[in-house]
Amino acid sequence: MGRPEHEPARRPAAASSMAIACADVPALPLSIAPPAIEGVVAALAELLRRFSPAVEPAAGEPGTFWLDASGLARLFPSPAGWARAIHAALAAAGHTAYVAVGWSRFGVYAAARSRPRGGVLLLADAEAERRAARRVALARLGIDDEARVALERLGVRTVAELVRLPAAGIQRRFGAAIYRLHRLATGVDAPPLAPASPPAPFVAALELDDPEPDRERLGFLLKRLLDPLLGRLATRGLALAALHVGLRIGRSPPSARPLEWSLRPAAPTLDAVQLMGLVRLRLERLAVERGVVAVRLLVDGVPATRTQLELFAVPPRRDPAAAARALARVRAAFGEDAVVRARAGSGHLPEASFAWEPIDRPRAQPRPRAIAPRPIVRRVLAAPLALPPRPRREPDGWMPRGAAGGAVVHLDGPFVLSGGWWRREIERDYYFAELRGGAVLWLYYDRVRRTWFLHGEVA
Amino acid sequence: MDARRLPTGLVFASAAADASAERIAAPGWSLDETRGRLVELSGHAALTLAFGLVLDAQRRDEPIAWISSRASHFFPPDAAAGGVDLDALPVVRVDGAAVARAADQLGRSGAFGLLVLDLGGQDVPPPLVARLAGIARAHDATVLCLTEPAFAPARGDRAGRELGSRLGSLVSLRIATRRRRDREGFVCELRAVKDKRRAPGWVYEDACRGPAGT
Repeated sequence: MGRPEHEPARRPAAASSMAIACADVPALPLSIAPPAIEGVVAALAELLRRFSPAVEPAAGEPGTFWLDASGLARLFPSPAGWARAIHAALAAAGHTAYVAVGWSRFGVYAAARSRPRGGVLLLADAEAERRAARRVALARLGIDDEARVALERLGVRTVAELVRLPAAGIQRRFGAAIYRLHRLATGVDAPPLAPASPPAPFVAALELDDPEPDRERLGFLLKRLLDPLLGRLATRGLALAALHVGLRIGRSPPSARPLEWSLRPAAPTLDAVQLMGLVRLRLERLAVERGVVAVRLLVDGVPATRTQLELFAVPPRRDPAAAARALARVRAAFGEDAVVRARAGSGHLPEASFAWEPIDRPRAQPRPRAIAPRPIVRRVLAAPLALPPRPRREPDGWMPRGAAGGAVVHLDGPFVLSGGWWRREIERDYYFAELRGGAVLWLYYDRVRRTWFLHGEVA
Repeated sequence: MDARRLPTGLVFASAAADASAERIAAPGWSLDETRGRLVELSGHAALTLAFGLVLDAQRRDEPIAWISSRASHFFPPDAAAGGVDLDALPVVRVDGAAVARAADQLGRSGAFGLLVLDLGGQDVPPPLVARLAGIARAHDATVLCLTEPAFAPARGDRAGRELGSRLGSLVSLRIATRRRRDREGFVCELRAVKDKRRAPGWVYEDACRGPAGT
């Protein structure tokens, strides 16, 4: 089933410092459509949580998971034993998996992905992990085919060859994906584990003031709890696969277990009528004469089909008419010019490069464009703020925002804007001033007025 | 596209123009993460990262409203250069203290999937914070507040101490941002300082380019 581990517990001291593991399940069936994959990933994550409280499914790579390996020494005999237990559990669930335990996120990932036929790998130390990771072929790491071919043309086929490339220019030549892979492989980026929390259960409960012995009224109470649960399921694109009901009977001893039962519809559904029919049939067989004092529902959800969601008749998510009415209320409360959109202007001065135009409602279908890399967005003051004159001597540096903002440590500029001679002459020398605290101010020196102004900030 | 594997490996989503990609924002910084929550974003890269979420919302056809003060606002040409459809982004411009009230008015309609409140240094009364949090939960919307960190008053020679959130404990996700230079340009980084749904400390980075000349 598994391949023998490379370092079985020969170095318990080093192994106890291991921080992270990667479980790769490469062979999710091709027949699973993308929406159903989420359910499979969630089920695998739930399985892996039996071995570590912190499990992070890899974004964009269904079947790859990172687990926090630290702090488990009292539960498992060794990292090797832990990894074998994970591997065995995945195999019992019908998956071929490779489990690598090591020291860094990228290291265990590369090691796990390099062995598609399953097994367990324990990386003895960080250096061994680094060597193993660098031997891995880029084709194993699921990178874009176009980028991979472009790299192969340069003779870059492995991680070791990739990290030897200079960082500058990688993003421009091969794209953001390869740039980030380079940063991860070289250790420049080492993001912490970001475990996904288990999905919140779909639960509803109700405590009754008086015991309720009537089955019909109980049915209405259960429906009152069930309808919102079905709505939440539909919002998440799920259908009900099983309903678990708990009824606490009045005048029972506190230690008595509630009356619990489950029912499953013939197929996952969001049909409240069908479900309540099943609930009422079950209620008729229960002894509730002493009266029910508390009710609890727990729902198991599975990904719903489009037909199931349509039958539920989920109302449109957002109502454009309601948005228009809300904007109208804002105009009434704050002025007719309060609701605007930005329009491009034709001027070359920053304040003339756009204009605010009142609107009643925005464009219905947004048309965003994909831009990479995105520009940093500046904040601009509607009215540039005149700064105090710079003193002749600045022993602590220039502090445009006073001591709290810190001194300027870096200045880019000047970028000269001039014009308007036919109306009001404008001559501005723009600068980007980086302060010690990290802020970057957008300033200009007005040559006509001989004054520094704060126009905005790079944010 | 192979149903098993998407093209980017470890990458937390590429911003490249991939026609098959449904989202620009990476997991950890997308509407999937912020839906139904009151989110506070502060730091030197807050505005840029906020527009990452705006782009994600526009890609998903989620109506957005941006509320800011008249005195200070985002620079629209930068937002447009980043791909934002400004015609589909209504901006509500009010006096600084009224930003949160305007957001409350809009949020109650349930018609917006993303409300961005550019609060700056404005404080928001706790009852209004509670209403905004309730609006986010009730309508499965994201209420994103851009704030400047609050500071305790300076005493003598001591600088004011940062007190943390301006919005208090009702914030579901609080994020600190920063920006750093690298050889390619800039990297805008966010770090979850507080997260009621998962462990804090997760990080998202976005490579950006600075204004011409930086």
